[in-house]
Amino acid sequence: MRRRLWVVGGAAFGAALAASLLFPTTATEAGGLGLLSLYSLARMFAAYALALVFAIAYGTTAATNRKAATVMLPLLDVLQSIPILGFFPAVLLFFVSTFNGSPIGLEISVVVLVFTSMAWNMAFGVYEALSTIPHDLEDAATEFGLTGWLRFRRLMFPAAVPKLVYNSILSWTNGWFFLVASEVFAAYGTTYTRPGIGSLIAQAGSRADVGGIALGLAALVVIVLGVDALIWRPLSGWADGFRIDVPRGETVRTVRPYEWLRWIPRFPGMWRRAATRFKPVSHVYVGASLRLEHAYARHPSVPKTIRRVDLALFLVVFVIVVSAGLVGLAGLFLHLPADAGEIPAAALSSFARLVVAYGLAIAWTIPVAAYVGRSAKASRILTPVLEVFASVPATALLPVIVGFALAVTAHASFGLQVASVLVALFSMQWYLLFNLIGGVRSIPGDLNEAARSFGVRGWTYWRRVLLPAIVPSFLTGSITAWGAGWNALIVSEYFPFTRDVHVEGLGWLLDKATFITGDSQLLLFSIFMMIAVVLAMNKLVWRPLIRRATVRYRVEAA
Amino acid sequence: MTKKKVILEVNDVSRSYFEGGKEFKALEHIRFDLYAQDFVCIVGPSGCGKSTLLRIIVGLDRPTSGEVLFEGKPIEAKNPQVAMVFQSFAIFPWLTVEQNVELGLEARRVAPSMRAEKAKRYIEIVGLTGFENAFPRELSGGMKQRVGLARALATDTVLLCMDEPFSALDALTAQNLRDEILELWSDPALPPDAVLMVTHSIEEAVYLADRVIVLSGRPGRQVAELEIDLPRPRNRREPEFYGWVDDIYSLIV
Repeated sequence: MRRRLWVVGGAAFGAALAASLLFPTTATEAGGLGLLSLYSLARMFAAYALALVFAIAYGTTAATNRKAATVMLPLLDVLQSIPILGFFPAVLLFFVSTFNGSPIGLEISVVVLVFTSMAWNMAFGVYEALSTIPHDLEDAATEFGLTGWLRFRRLMFPAAVPKLVYNSILSWTNGWFFLVASEVFAAYGTTYTRPGIGSLIAQAGSRADVGGIALGLAALVVIVLGVDALIWRPLSGWADGFRIDVPRGETVRTVRPYEWLRWIPRFPGMWRRAATRFKPVSHVYVGASLRLEHAYARHPSVPKTIRRVDLALFLVVFVIVVSAGLVGLAGLFLHLPADAGEIPAAALSSFARLVVAYGLAIAWTIPVAAYVGRSAKASRILTPVLEVFASVPATALLPVIVGFALAVTAHASFGLQVASVLVALFSMQWYLLFNLIGGVRSIPGDLNEAARSFGVRGWTYWRRVLLPAIVPSFLTGSITAWGAGWNALIVSEYFPFTRDVHVEGLGWLLDKATFITGDSQLLLFSIFMMIAVVLAMNKLVWRPLIRRATVRYRVEAA
Repeated sequence: MTKKKVILEVNDVSRSYFEGGKEFKALEHIRFDLYAQDFVCIVGPSGCGKSTLLRIIVGLDRPTSGEVLFEGKPIEAKNPQVAMVFQSFAIFPWLTVEQNVELGLEARRVAPSMRAEKAKRYIEIVGLTGFENAFPRELSGGMKQRVGLARALATDTVLLCMDEPFSALDALTAQNLRDEILELWSDPALPPDAVLMVTHSIEEAVYLADRVIVLSGRPGRQVAELEIDLPRPRNRREPEFYGWVDDIYSLIV
């Protein structure tokens, strides 16, 4: 394990050395990489902290208050399917004008954008975990008098931990995608830039500076994997301790995202040392929380009030942000914008491109997942490679993909179509792949052995065992992948920093309306169209499929 | 019997569920009293509402009509003197054995040192000394139920309610636990004062109980209340024992 790390580290160092010799100008830039990474990371953590607080408050309220849930859950559903980047210019403008154009306004809007890409999924996770606590456990908590803060600390929070951590990892990946996209933003004729890894890559892309792109991507991979190794992997190990036992023999459907990150070291010694170092701090915390708890016990309404205030604050901010976008778009239905006629055709061509990307993703992920999921050796060798590739958000690959597509195709407009499909593919494929690997792994050994003992092999094995068994994880992966695909439209159909070129589609219409013409009506119509398509697909395609799949294809052992 | 102190009164309890405007009766007109030093088993076919009845008795559910009084006052779920042992153990997987046992005390804001002392004592009583810091997933089924038992006893419990506590355990472990519960119950220095247990096993009821309350299926009606006057310790092979089992069996079928 350690030797492999040395090899990887040595290769990285060698590559860095070669790069600095080949591209001396970018090598001087490299000195600033550390600081830029810190900026980007700080934004991510700020957004994550907000998302965490929001998710816990929103999820607990929805799970414990049935009346509130009837409003809160559909709202979450809609929020999840909103193309977030579409609202970004409005958010940006609002904060920039609020802070009189100071960088603080820009920073806040970047954090808000990343927050919106993280929060819904996590809130949904908390709700789901809390609403599936076994009845007996809830009864026991009631029976032994757990109420208020103690009930939250002893029952609800621990029960939510596994799902919360799992969804946090997904959200974090999602966050990188939007962070990279939002560090450079052109809106209303102005380019807004904040220093960070994402803007470094985008700017290198617009200069066609290959060394800069490579440097930025390498730094990004190191940061993403570093955060995985130092934070998410230990956290998911910790979260395993909060799993509620499922009856023996029943397979757990949830994919443990970090099962295949075994090759990344866990640094137990470092954590232990850190723990002893921080012991005094944690003692202070325990003391304080005890005192707080006594205070709560005397005033049971306090935690409730805090939760309400927290939610209210969020709602106020949310309403302000959304209405700031909407107020500027008043007089919407009075006269249709000139370009409105293009919307259906644009939606169709975007959809067609996503279908192609989805088809490509299926075509390569199913065989690879079957191979990696069934062979320990393949898994050992391939998973680290796949992980490194998956760690790069598609938005960071934009310059590379566009350059590649234009270089390999003869016709420029065809090349752009290829680029657009590729960006969508890179946004979608990893969700599918890792869900499928999890699905293949969770086929019970008994089932495989039974198949072998009956001589079921080859195509019959695929048709009768493997494919049916992975249907549920295939659907889960598909939903996530499609969500990512829709979100990618805004960056996959218009490439302002790379070449200032575009292809026809809903994403391009959105981009044109917001960044070029400032046509707020067209913007709103395009967003509505996208929300309508996404919601329709969720309700009419995915949900019914999942409902049927859980009845028919759920693998249950004994 | 009438001279004994009444601790629990179940007064004409009925419970119905409403679905789509239709009424489904789960329990009808259940009434019985429970005395100090009593060991009562409720038996009945599956789906007769016996678990619902127990949930109502400990205050986790409310009757549609009628009432449950504990020491003369309406029962509340958080009343620490009535504690529950669950069929599925319902111990918290993220808490250690000791933390699980302390749960009811923690909820009553007993000081940490007192909590630990009490928890230690009851962990010892149920024979889990040495496992204080183990997590439930490291324990066998029988040990998990011992944790559930220690947790239920730790709050100076007067009435111990158990919902099919042994049905998820293997036969040998179940028999050991049955005998230990009898020992605890008959020891005046230790809680509980009285035990109320729901079971579908008639044999188990005859082995344990002073009195057996027999419910009929759907809706649950009280068919009989029988006093088992066999001497303790009871022998399952004796013809009198089987006489009782057959009597109750014929009442249910």
